[in-house]
Amino acid sequence: MAKLHENPLTKRPRARARHHEEHVEAEALFTSMGDGAITTDEFGKITRVNPAAQQILGYSEAELLDEWLPKKIIALSFDDSPINLIDRPITKTFLTGKPISAKMYYRRKDGEKIPVAINTSPIIVDGKPLGAIELFRDITLEQEVDRMKSEFISLASHQLRTPLSAIKTYTHMLAEGYMGKLNSSQKKSLNTIISASNRMNELISTLLNITRIESGTIAITLKMVHMVTIIEDVLPELIVMAQAKNITVTLDASDNARNRIKTDSLIVKEVVTNLVSNAIKYTPDGGTVAIIVQAQRSDIRVEVRDSGWGIPTYDQDQIFSKFFRGQNIVKRETSGTGLGLYLVKGLIDALGGKVWFTSEESVGTSFFFTLPRANQSKTPGDKEKAIFL
Amino acid sequence: MARILVVEDDRDLNKAYSIILRHEGHEVVSAFDGQEALNKITDFEPELVLLDLLMPIMGGLEFLQQWEKSKRQPDVKILIFTNMENSPEVAEAYKLGAERCIIKSWTAPHNLARVVSDSLAGTKKKAKTPA
Repeated sequence: MAKLHENPLTKRPRARARHHEEHVEAEALFTSMGDGAITTDEFGKITRVNPAAQQILGYSEAELLDEWLPKKIIALSFDDSPINLIDRPITKTFLTGKPISAKMYYRRKDGEKIPVAINTSPIIVDGKPLGAIELFRDITLEQEVDRMKSEFISLASHQLRTPLSAIKTYTHMLAEGYMGKLNSSQKKSLNTIISASNRMNELISTLLNITRIESGTIAITLKMVHMVTIIEDVLPELIVMAQAKNITVTLDASDNARNRIKTDSLIVKEVVTNLVSNAIKYTPDGGTVAIIVQAQRSDIRVEVRDSGWGIPTYDQDQIFSKFFRGQNIVKRETSGTGLGLYLVKGLIDALGGKVWFTSEESVGTSFFFTLPRANQSKTPGDKEKAIFL
Repeated sequence: MARILVVEDDRDLNKAYSIILRHEGHEVVSAFDGQEALNKITDFEPELVLLDLLMPIMGGLEFLQQWEKSKRQPDVKILIFTNMENSPEVAEAYKLGAERCIIKSWTAPHNLARVVSDSLAGTKKKAKTPA
């Protein structure tokens, strides 16, 4: 009798059995996933729903199957405004053919609004789009932890700043002669304390602002101000820092009358302080830092140009990343958190501006930022914030 | 010379600001919370109020709301002196009439004096109402 496996016709049962096993495994995977999973056809009609998705949304499988996903599952922004169809991750996946991630709110069947983190991907077989898969999870707990973290950092920063305010005020009063004349040795000691407390202040400000940006709670107050006046306000202390390294700091503002702008001066001061203090820190002794303000038709442009060590090409892509510090810098200057430029980018984005740079190693770096004259800051309620972050 | 009300719960800071502003020739009265500030404001008639936000008993925002109800003079300058920049509280203070926000932990005495002087420069000198 021929052996079963030698007959081509008898190979089919084994292949069928293997296929069945794989199907059962795939089904078990889809069903047992802890995240909600929904698949759709190429038109967005729901074809499969796993138990986790039903549990998160409060709908039964029967209530979801064959429904058009964007219509059946209502998506909302943090202020309850509906997310436009074009901004839904599944729409973007269909349009771009790429995986998309987003955070927003979904409305459950019982009307409750829950925050979700969503990932959508296209389903492509043999080069043909068959549909999409959306994975999502309830992030209520994560959001609550973030909120508590944010509140804690806010409170801690404020409490840390209170004694620092007294240190700053009294050391400066001593240095400025309010309590009598000091000898040069006393002045030198005071300057050491002032410098250290300024560094601590800077770090607390940075941490606080980053927390606010990341949690979307930064409050922007727009007022008409002169860009040059804002910069002049922060220059004196930066010049003291520069003088310690014999670095010359200059400010060049052409057409002063036209540099009025509606913006948040405290935020701009934070940006300028960060960029100029970086320029001073990363420029060798005897170098130069130039601040150039140019009024343009629809915006004001500020450049901070230094004759410093520059940024190597291989590091330039990451320069605005959180905690990033260039290797050429870390070897020379051990202080620094890698948060300054991440903060600068976040603040300029919040004001509706742009920030970029050019750099050449051993020659220097120029950081630029522009702020629109007719301010388009991204405050809550704007379309750009329609996706909950 | 102007009449300035310093409203700050931290006694060391309140004392420091008073010294700095008197050094500039201003007449200064101190309050350590919003309620005390309300009690002193009618008699003193300040031209400028240096106002902290986070205070016990009555904070800066509540002080501004209460003062508004009792019809404060519109040309009194209000400078918020706080460590909570870019916070919703500061935004609310602007809506209640604050002119400017100064960050305490960033501000050296000469800058405080300059900011106060700049704010007052836009105000016409007003004599105190005779008793």
